[in-house]
Amino acid sequence: MNNIILKIYNATKSYNGTKAVNGVSMNFSKGKITSIIGPNRAGKTTLFNLINGFLKLNDGKIYYNGERIDHFPAWKIARLGIGRIFQDIRVFNKITALENVLLANKDQPGENPIVSLFLRKKTLGKESVNIEDAKKWLKFVNLSDKEDSLAENLSYGQQKLLSISRLLAGGYDLLLLDEPTAGVHPSLAKTILHVIKNMVEEGKTAVVIEHDMKIIAEISDFVYFMHEGKVTFSGTPETVLKNSKVKEAYIGV
Amino acid sequence: MNYILHILIMINIYLILSLSLNLIVGYTGLLSIAHAAFYGIGAYITTLLMMNMGLNFFIALFITIPVVMLVSLLVSFPSLRLKGDYFVLATIAFQVIVFSILYNWISLTRGPYGIPGINRPVLLGFKFDSLPSYFFLSLFFVIIVGLLFKLLYKSPFGRVLKAIREDEISAKAMGKNVDSLKIWSCLIGCGIASISGALYAGYVTYIDPTSFTLMESVFILSIVLVGGSGNFRGPIIGTIFMVILPEILRFLGLPDSIAPNVRQMIYGALLIILMKYRPQGLAGEYRFE
Amino acid sequence: MIWQFLANGLIRGSMYALMALGFGLIYNTTRIFHIAHGAVYTVAAYLFYTCAILLKLNVFVSLFLALFCSGILGVIIEFSIYHPLYKRKASIGIYLISSLGLYIFLINTIALFYGNETKTLSPGIEKTYHIGSIILTRIQIFELISFIIIFPIFLFFLKRIKLGKIIRALADNPELSTVVGINVKKIRIIIFFLGSILAGFTSCLGALDVGMDPHMGMNVLLIAAVAVIMGGVGIFESPVVGAFILGLLQNLLIWKVSSRWESMVTFMLLICFLVFRPQGILGKKRRLEET
Repeated sequence: MNNIILKIYNATKSYNGTKAVNGVSMNFSKGKITSIIGPNRAGKTTLFNLINGFLKLNDGKIYYNGERIDHFPAWKIARLGIGRIFQDIRVFNKITALENVLLANKDQPGENPIVSLFLRKKTLGKESVNIEDAKKWLKFVNLSDKEDSLAENLSYGQQKLLSISRLLAGGYDLLLLDEPTAGVHPSLAKTILHVIKNMVEEGKTAVVIEHDMKIIAEISDFVYFMHEGKVTFSGTPETVLKNSKVKEAYIGV
Repeated sequence: MNYILHILIMINIYLILSLSLNLIVGYTGLLSIAHAAFYGIGAYITTLLMMNMGLNFFIALFITIPVVMLVSLLVSFPSLRLKGDYFVLATIAFQVIVFSILYNWISLTRGPYGIPGINRPVLLGFKFDSLPSYFFLSLFFVIIVGLLFKLLYKSPFGRVLKAIREDEISAKAMGKNVDSLKIWSCLIGCGIASISGALYAGYVTYIDPTSFTLMESVFILSIVLVGGSGNFRGPIIGTIFMVILPEILRFLGLPDSIAPNVRQMIYGALLIILMKYRPQGLAGEYRFE
Repeated sequence: MIWQFLANGLIRGSMYALMALGFGLIYNTTRIFHIAHGAVYTVAAYLFYTCAILLKLNVFVSLFLALFCSGILGVIIEFSIYHPLYKRKASIGIYLISSLGLYIFLINTIALFYGNETKTLSPGIEKTYHIGSIILTRIQIFELISFIIIFPIFLFFLKRIKLGKIIRALADNPELSTVVGINVKKIRIIIFFLGSILAGFTSCLGALDVGMDPHMGMNVLLIAAVAVIMGGVGIFESPVVGAFILGLLQNLLIWKVSSRWESMVTFMLLICFLVFRPQGILGKKRRLEET
């Protein structure tokens, strides 16, 4: 039995009467890539929001490394090691790319104003280390020349790379990736997948929401198929993609 | 010369107000129209401590700042739960309530009659009762406050505030305790504003609630918007511009009877024009979108 | 004694209600916190004054002119300021500051021409009527009757007339409305026209009742906003509930305590609603979740 890093048990979330997520149970193995697929409005992003702590469960439990996290605030869950990429990217627009990546660093004593004011040496010391790290991560995604550009001035693809860079810099163990390759040039998509695979090889775990069947087949170790808030099928990529019900639900997407 | 010193002292007082509001509005992105309330509370607490308890100005100020910080929690806690114009409305409500208390709690504040006869500050026997000496006193505070904010703006604290301004949700997803940071931002911003209140009280030696109205809050906010926010230069340029503008108008021969109205007309028009064509103000970094 | 204050409360509530209905009409459909609405209120009163006193026109003609012009002013504001912001998808902050700037500009323009002091429109003693132990002036009765007539018309307009239904659809779902083919631009203009007329009407009556000064708009505007939030945002008739509660509460304060604390109690009530019941009295609990 593989090491289960994230366990969702019977999760339910209702909105105005409808159940966006309805009794969903999933297990995510450490060091593997699990994909969640399904038509729009199946509840995939809602599920991510529940894991992240942005939404509260109406019923069910979520465990991370054996600890129950579904009632924790979002920032605490992030600090435990769960990182997130959003469908609509969400970089910090009016600050530079370098500052964006710097922010991902969780070890910043200077974020406390008292420390910043009175423990100057400690703050500045850690800051220069953090800046070096941030530059490294920017270089990794080939955005070094955009260091001082405002994030809003980057192209869509560059912003996607920036958000990946932030994810790398954050030192997370579990990565929630909401459509990481959507809307980008195929060669960039390839780069992003390459980065994801590298991170997993280094011991991280990835959960990916995807629509592209080829990508799912290429990278997934396990696939969950969601439809109208429920998990209706799961298994290896081959079995899931061959399943007739899955194909049926996807026509029209 | 006296006239120039007076202007410079007022610039100093408003500089402290604009630099502190900049932390809340320009960095954290919380649009507050309640800064005059903290300005006023600072003025009144310092004054009452001086006059009713005979405390020295500097000791009174030392006590005032943490008290005002506590009061700021009344604004920062709602900010955690209220979004958009509900938060702004809450700050307006707070401002009006504070004014109402200052104006109507006559037994404590003497209401509309105000509190006259405030002594000029005394430090180790030296009394700051000449204009040049008060200028240097106010300048001293400006330098301290300026250094404080220069450090804070550039620090990781300033940076994470900007992240909150840009996208609170992303900031939380990156492990930032947004609630705690917003509270810090208000504690510091509002606490520092009280210094201006004390300086004002010690300078004019008379305070009454009409100096701390909703329109005064709008004026301070205008300084930050016109000058620009999200950096160090913006509030400085804004303060100098907005404090000097009425003097220029007077210089140009505008009669005193209509001067206040014309001045306000210019502020109003400036706000509209800036929001339309140059939301980052004259020298700001943060463009309101 | 209590009846007098109840009556006063209802009358004040009527005026607050008409003002709040206009503000709510605009806020519910556009979500713009139209601070400049307070300036439209002020402008209407001074136009009325100009026509009736300075130009010595007939009262009803003056009223009509004042209402019409305030409606036009509302339209001009939407056209020149809000609509361009709408097209460039400006944030709430920009609307608010622009509206605030416009308010400051307009009322100080009025103050420049008419002076800062309070003006009254009816010199001399107003005719009074006695109903039991209650004494009401002619204007106060007119205010109450106005509300009783106008509110049902407002409701009928919203529920039965096609235009009203379109407006409600726009309020419920702005994005869908454009898809379905509703001419959002035209509807917004109509809304600003109607909302501004309501403000103008309230203002002219208020001017006849207690007089006017250039700075009265902000207070009235804020009370209208409180009434809308207390009643429930998104429901067009709900401001009436908030308005009457405020009118009665304020008069209760005047009777039992003092009028000094009116503002404070009004705004503390607002804060209570914002924190504990943001959906208002009539509103349904909406989920304020993230993302």
